[in-house]
Amino acid sequence: MAPAPMEFARSLARPSTWRLALRGLGRQPRRSGVVLAAVAIGLGALVLAMALQFGLIEQMVETAIRTEIGDLQAHAPDWNEAPPLERRLPLAESLAALEGAPTLSGVAPRVRGEGLAQSPRASVGVRVLGADPEREPSVSTLASFVRTGAWLGEPRRVVIGSGLARRLGVEVGGKVVLSVQDARGDLTGESFRVGGIVNAPSRELDESVVVVRIDEAQRLYAIPGEISEVALRARDGEQLAAASAVAKRALGESARVETWRELEPMLVALLGLFDQMGWVIYAAIFVAMAFGIANVLLMSVFERTREIGVMLAIGMLPARMVAIVTAESVVLVVTGVALGLALGFGAIWLLRDGIDLAAWSEGMREFGVPTLLKPVARAGDVWAPLWVAGITALIAGFWPALRAVRIRPAEALRRT
Amino acid sequence: MILRLAWRNIGRNKRRTGLTVAAAVFAVVLVVHMIALTTGVHEGMIETNVRMHAGHLQVTGAGYLEDRTLERFARWTPALARAIDGAPGVAAAAPRVNGFALLSNGPASQGVALLGVDPAREGAVSVWPERVVRGEFLGGGEREIVLGERVAEALRVDVGDELLVFTVAYTLENAYEMFRVRGVLRAPDPTLDRSLALISLADAQALLVYEERVSEIALLARDAARLAETRAAVASAVTTVSAEALDVNPWQRVMPELEQMLVIDDAQNYSMLGILVLVVTFGLLNTILMSVLERQRELGVMLALGLQPRALFRLVYVESLLLSGVGLAVGLALAIPGAAIMEQNPIPLTGEVAQMTAQFGVDPIITWKLEAWNPLAATALMIGIALLSALYPAAKAASARPVDALRSL
Amino acid sequence: MAAMACALWASSASAQTLEPPPASPTAREVAERVENNFRGESGFLDATMIVKSPRLPEPRRMRFQSWDDRGGKRSFVRVLEPAKDKGTAFLKLHPNLWSYIPRVERTIRIPPSMMLQSWMGSDFTNDDLVRESSTLDDYTHRWLGVDPSHQGSRAFVIEHVPKEGAPVVWGRIAVWVDAARLVPVRQEFFDEAGEKLRVMTLSDLRAVGSRVYPHRWSMTPLDKPGHETRIEVNEIRFGEKFADDIFTQRNLTRRD
Repeated sequence: MAPAPMEFARSLARPSTWRLALRGLGRQPRRSGVVLAAVAIGLGALVLAMALQFGLIEQMVETAIRTEIGDLQAHAPDWNEAPPLERRLPLAESLAALEGAPTLSGVAPRVRGEGLAQSPRASVGVRVLGADPEREPSVSTLASFVRTGAWLGEPRRVVIGSGLARRLGVEVGGKVVLSVQDARGDLTGESFRVGGIVNAPSRELDESVVVVRIDEAQRLYAIPGEISEVALRARDGEQLAAASAVAKRALGESARVETWRELEPMLVALLGLFDQMGWVIYAAIFVAMAFGIANVLLMSVFERTREIGVMLAIGMLPARMVAIVTAESVVLVVTGVALGLALGFGAIWLLRDGIDLAAWSEGMREFGVPTLLKPVARAGDVWAPLWVAGITALIAGFWPALRAVRIRPAEALRRT
Repeated sequence: MILRLAWRNIGRNKRRTGLTVAAAVFAVVLVVHMIALTTGVHEGMIETNVRMHAGHLQVTGAGYLEDRTLERFARWTPALARAIDGAPGVAAAAPRVNGFALLSNGPASQGVALLGVDPAREGAVSVWPERVVRGEFLGGGEREIVLGERVAEALRVDVGDELLVFTVAYTLENAYEMFRVRGVLRAPDPTLDRSLALISLADAQALLVYEERVSEIALLARDAARLAETRAAVASAVTTVSAEALDVNPWQRVMPELEQMLVIDDAQNYSMLGILVLVVTFGLLNTILMSVLERQRELGVMLALGLQPRALFRLVYVESLLLSGVGLAVGLALAIPGAAIMEQNPIPLTGEVAQMTAQFGVDPIITWKLEAWNPLAATALMIGIALLSALYPAAKAASARPVDALRSL
Repeated sequence: MAAMACALWASSASAQTLEPPPASPTAREVAERVENNFRGESGFLDATMIVKSPRLPEPRRMRFQSWDDRGGKRSFVRVLEPAKDKGTAFLKLHPNLWSYIPRVERTIRIPPSMMLQSWMGSDFTNDDLVRESSTLDDYTHRWLGVDPSHQGSRAFVIEHVPKEGAPVVWGRIAVWVDAARLVPVRQEFFDEAGEKLRVMTLSDLRAVGSRVYPHRWSMTPLDKPGHETRIEVNEIRFGEKFADDIFTQRNLTRRD
């Protein structure tokens, strides 16, 4: 007689083992169904939970980064030691260096300055953002928040937040005078008309930013051919480091490239906190899933002790018996996993438009805050739950089977 | 009769009982801890932000939040102070004047948000005094100023140096005064650090010719969970003593971004909780169902012996409820002290995240917070789960036919 | 809406009393002559500013002298009264503005962000004080008519409409110009919806050398009830050559 492990392996390789396993499962449809449901629902839930977790982080990053900052920004090397207008980059060279770079999907040059927005009724200190009407949307979502009117494009048209519009008492088409100190130190001003009003997702943006066409901003600040920064979008958010390296190489010593993580440390800290908390909860669901599967499988195998006893009594090799039970587990788990993935991704698909949270908070509706919680599916992330489901199921199947065959047939028969 | 039978059944099969109870215990422990964790972290974030500056509530002149000018004010009279301090639920109150000023030292000048605070009261509401990195916070002295670190840097001044504060007074005249730097503080975010200067409330009122007016009165509530009550109490207390209309703004209005973040995170966490409950319900259902299937022969015998299917349903149902009940009791017994221990010993964050949060004045920890409603919610949830998950297996048991059951012999 | 209707009614009511404009000069020519007469080149001014506001129990008076050297893009202002502010001085050397505060014996550079702030709490800004550019090119001009007796004199009524892009917040400005002396005597500022928001009256016209100059200015913001800023000219001289040492940091700190 071959040693048990070898006999076990040989048995597993034999098609008849799998046939027997399938027949065994078919004989107990309810029990098989219960195990299948445990695996499928546990795994499906885990996939959905994970997607929600990523959805949350993505949502927060989206709101905070995509609205204005972008994935990366390039500035003059010593940019944060002086007001934005004093440290500039050449527009043409920067664009030529960055556009078409492999890992960058968006390149948006910007002029940044300060100024005073005036209407007949009020003067408000503002941040001026000179943006390229075509390129800006490739980096930020600012353009998508336009509530009335249109995004930049027409000459002498600016885009302002609804809060600023309210403070100045202007509507689309209304006149706003921008007074600024230009790069030469002169006070200068021009009037613009409100082309669009955005419902910006942050109070600061909503109440104190004026978006001007970049060429007009250059004229206003007397910096022809120059810009304050280039905002960049990485082709894939995951490739931040690669995109950063590419941008650094392209610009050389003439500019400093920073990722949003370097630009917004406070946000990184906050996201980190949410992320760590999310993982704790995720781990809880994970354990619950593993527990649920193990529990059901244990039950099912314990129940079979008698059955196994009968089989052994009629001369079945113990190792072959274990192989059959293991094969049953494998079949169940594989089917369960397939069903679970279908369930999980099905749920994600059903929730693809997001869960609207607007009803939860009045404060959120005042701004154009995106109030959707959207699950985000990432294929690569199903592996961890998959492995855990599989291994749990196998251990939970194999070990009781091993135990069952060790019991003497007579005792096994008596036990039920 | 059924109860006794059910109890005996539970005692008879230790393994099955153990597994089912374990599932319930597990569920209760998870739910309690998850809620405690969410509550704890959020409360921590709210407290940090509230203590940073805003306070739980802010009493301001009507419309101040929309139009932050000197025109919108409250009068910080002894009567108002008494009314606010005496309002039920108010732990501390700090009046402030929010102005704008130009600070100047030689050729260097810097525009700042000039904050007039009452040195005796401010520390009870906000953490400004604790954030001083050099020198000291404002005391009783006159014409002393505390600067954000980067303001001091930009002006090239340090503790002990003098600088000029220039602003436009409420009376529309230019106002100038020399101030001595008493302390330098590190504000939690760089923008604030570049643009913040604090002077005493008395100096601010004198400089701005603002008399007893203030821009806001930040309040700390005794119990953050009962903010709505405290807000109403404060609102009614101030209307009786203030000639001007006042607003009482909760922190959610003062910091809508924080509110938004928490709502999104809450929604996410409770979705996760929902998923967890689903998983647990099915786990329990499966376990009970399994135990029913396993006992088919036994149940068949009982039916054959003349037990009504309805009675069998009840038997299995009560059995399941008993199991869940035991699980619930054990679960709560484990979870509550567990959560309480976690509340005392929060998990420290690690790595980059820890450094960042610490830098911004947030304790780098994940905190638990066990509130009374939490175990109650877990109990209600568990009972719901038990009632629901036992339904199908019990029905299954009742529908077993004696012949079928005996055949499986 | 009611305010707008009201403003429309007001402007049409005043329009009814106007006579048709003369064939010559054109509205643009009137505006040019006013500009030449009024803005002038370099000048010395001694004036008192009176600020009324509901915030103030009684109007605040402040007397100052200014030396304005248009060609050199520089100007100097010194406050004489009240005693509290005596000696406070402003020096503009393009593009910088300094201020000296005698009480604390400090000179500060006023950053551009504050240039558009109210000057000494008035309805004028720091920038109004030192603006060099002619505003003529910011507007197109058209006749509204002739007011036969505006405060007893014949007045041309000209409308200034800001050109697109010009840094002017107003929708239009109606200006009454004394027909005989070509001096503005009243300006009404409207927003684009046609609501009248400010009125400036210029009166007490007196001869100064070869020209006529209003010695009393009054600015009333209609949307801020109780506010008024008045400037009463004590003395004004045009076309003087100023000594260079007026426009120095040393002069800022000089005490008389």
